[in-house]
Amino acid sequence: MSKTYEYVHEPTLVKGDHDFKSITALITDINLRPTPKAWYAAFGVANLLLLVMLVSIAYLIWEGTGIWGLNTPANWGWAIVNFVWWVGIGHAGTLISAILFLFRQNWRTAINRFAEAMTIFAVMCAGIFPAIHVGRIWVIYWVFPLPNQMAMWPNFTSPLLWDVFAVGTYFTVSTLFWYVGLVPDLATVRDRIKNGIGKKLYGIFSLGWRGSNRQWWTYEKSYMILAGLATPLVLSVHSVVSFDFAVSVIPGWHTTIFPPYFVAGAIFSGFAMVLTLMIICRKIYKLEEIMTIDHMEKMNIILLVTGMMVGFAYLMEVFIAWYGGVEYEKAIFALRASGPYAWAYWLMIGCNVLSPQFFWVKKFRRHIGLTFVISIIVNIGMWFERFVIAVTSLSTDFLPSSWGYYTPTLWDVLTYVGTFGLFFTFFLLFLRFLPMVAVAEVKNVMPQADPHNYDEEGNYIAPKVEVPEPKRES
Amino acid sequence: MATDSPKLTDSVEFPSELNVTKVLFGVGTAGLIASGVGYFLNHEQFFFSWLTSFNYFTSIALGALLLVMIHHITRSSWGVVIRRIIESFSSNLWLWAIFFIPVIIGMTTLYSWTDPSYYIDDPIVAGKQPYLNEPFYIVRAILYFAIWGWLGYKLHKVSIEMDRTNDWGLTTLLRKISAPGILIVALTLAFASFDWLMSLDAHWFSTMFGVYYFAMGFQALFAVLILLAFWLRRRGVLENTISQSHIHDLGSWFWAFTIFYAYIAFSQFLLIYYANISEEVLWFYHRMEGSWIFIGYTLIIGRFLIPFLLLINRDSKHNKKLLTISAVLVLIVHFLEMYWIAMPALHSQGISFSWMDVTTMIGLGGIFLGLFFRTYAKNNLVPVNDPKLSDSLAKSYHQ
Repeated sequence: MSKTYEYVHEPTLVKGDHDFKSITALITDINLRPTPKAWYAAFGVANLLLLVMLVSIAYLIWEGTGIWGLNTPANWGWAIVNFVWWVGIGHAGTLISAILFLFRQNWRTAINRFAEAMTIFAVMCAGIFPAIHVGRIWVIYWVFPLPNQMAMWPNFTSPLLWDVFAVGTYFTVSTLFWYVGLVPDLATVRDRIKNGIGKKLYGIFSLGWRGSNRQWWTYEKSYMILAGLATPLVLSVHSVVSFDFAVSVIPGWHTTIFPPYFVAGAIFSGFAMVLTLMIICRKIYKLEEIMTIDHMEKMNIILLVTGMMVGFAYLMEVFIAWYGGVEYEKAIFALRASGPYAWAYWLMIGCNVLSPQFFWVKKFRRHIGLTFVISIIVNIGMWFERFVIAVTSLSTDFLPSSWGYYTPTLWDVLTYVGTFGLFFTFFLLFLRFLPMVAVAEVKNVMPQADPHNYDEEGNYIAPKVEVPEPKRES
Repeated sequence: MATDSPKLTDSVEFPSELNVTKVLFGVGTAGLIASGVGYFLNHEQFFFSWLTSFNYFTSIALGALLLVMIHHITRSSWGVVIRRIIESFSSNLWLWAIFFIPVIIGMTTLYSWTDPSYYIDDPIVAGKQPYLNEPFYIVRAILYFAIWGWLGYKLHKVSIEMDRTNDWGLTTLLRKISAPGILIVALTLAFASFDWLMSLDAHWFSTMFGVYYFAMGFQALFAVLILLAFWLRRRGVLENTISQSHIHDLGSWFWAFTIFYAYIAFSQFLLIYYANISEEVLWFYHRMEGSWIFIGYTLIIGRFLIPFLLLINRDSKHNKKLLTISAVLVLIVHFLEMYWIAMPALHSQGISFSWMDVTTMIGLGGIFLGLFFRTYAKNNLVPVNDPKLSDSLAKSYHQ
């Protein structure tokens, strides 16, 4: 106890000398300024990639899934890996906007809009893969339980069908939630924009918002209800995705920790993606005073926590594989660590468990360059996690005579790379036309919104509590 | 928020006339003595009842330990006024280790893997010998309690010290302990649950079991906190300090972790039931056989459906009657669930309640609550110099 510790003040959420007006200007001027040339360049690249995706999919539909590297027994390859990876990334948005909202984490306001948009586009990218991998995409509507004269129904006991509902619900609620949050800000843009057509369009989408007391009351109520509805969805979507694997009897897939483990991994990769994009955008759009280093530090802590949760699950899997004494389980984990895909396994451990360990140290948590690098490393690691799960368990199945090495083809790679085109096309449109930070919400958490108990440096100092009785020594 | 500083209008001393420590210790001792008699009558039943009751309270104390640490690392303000209550539960974990001794004594009765003649023809159980053996089991238990005991004691002690010294820097120390603390407790808790309950059936395994144990204990902890808050307030203790809004927050946490419990328990069940492979499904098979299935249904209804429906409405999360009903129900079903996990290892034919189930619960429960009141009454009832206390007091229930 000889060592003394410094009290760490909680940072104010908006830095710089801002008032409400300058915040509005800082964020919405991005939409009102003429389109920068660099945006067109980025949009062009994204469009090219999107074209790559469309061509790959067109060729896939023309030729069939034989163009992919799938073989027997590795019947699931990159398509499922990419699906799970994109859905996982799509978890941060709703976590930030719903769960952190319910936990009254005010710092979420700087990044929630941004993360929700990312969520929606990531889920769109994810949705492509299960749809195109079915082979006969022209009967994809069969996944829906539509009454028909043949009385044929989808298999309701299959988790693959639950996926359709889970991801569909998640996408719908996330989009609604995002849109409801956008309404006041759309009205702000409407009021500031000069262009006539733009004014009409923003006017239509802001649903006649006037900012009256009654409208705010309704808005906050509906926001709360949507947050409540979205919270279980954060857990349920990736749990159902994990069921795709875990209900089977394939060694390495069938293990009970899968649902929470997948959810933790999804949040992990989602936050990493938000960090990657945030670090670029705050620089380009000069939003450093809203998306501050303190925000980055908090997100890095979440990265560390969820990374450790994933590490916990890895440990449980390996321990129980040994403890359970089931030969096949033991064999598959031995093969993961030392078999043909050992490189992928150790890459996964290195990226997901070891790399976030830097964030135990405050200095590293606040280092922009390091955070940027680790956020990308984490997403590489999370991609390999799904690769390890899907491919190792399948390619070395119960019959050693059918073991083989799974290699993706060029079309696998192009389809995956192409989805980045889809993602960034939408994301760039979002950055261009919608306020990327929730203007109204950020104003709510500024010191000016509650100008009490701050010292000269802007630190919040809680007032001393008066205690009635003389304190007793323990 | 008002510009003038919030006041703590309640006394932070525990009223001596309310101190129930002695009564609880008395009841607890009587329960322990009665259980001790049971040992001579039917030692098998005694050990199983003891293990059930021991896990009942240990899971709650571990929930408290985790909640204290979560409070520190998230710098949360809502719970400052009730943090002393939570700390007082986890600070006694080092003493609580004493009550693990009967489990060690009864090891050979409780765990079939201790018997060489049992596993000699069973290569799977024999293969677990490097982990499941008596000395290592004891060493692990000592390690668990050393870690939990130290963390619980230290976090409480530093918090008390802050009352005296008014040194806000100690919050940094508390966070520095809590961050790795959560990780270590998560790991030790999982392995403890494997050792104590999962290995009762030496064949069965579930990677989720540690999370499941946590989910049960954490839900039950909020039930305890809610009942205690009502009990204290009714007697005028912290009547104005623990406000409607704090009760509402407790209710929300309780409800959220009711759902979390259901999520974890159901996922574990569904995956095993669906795959239906012999190496794991037997555990559930035994627990759905004969009269055991009735407890199975009770868990779903009592621990999830009823509290979920009662507290789904926003206003009901601070409704005294609904919260009390739900909390009492969850605490009863928490026992039934521990019983349902442990006891089929002894009574495979069906439910067979023994009077020792009651006496060990009374005995350990009396001591558990007695230890709590002893610690809680000795110190300030709220952390009076906590930097977040004013924020916590200022919380009031809106809408």
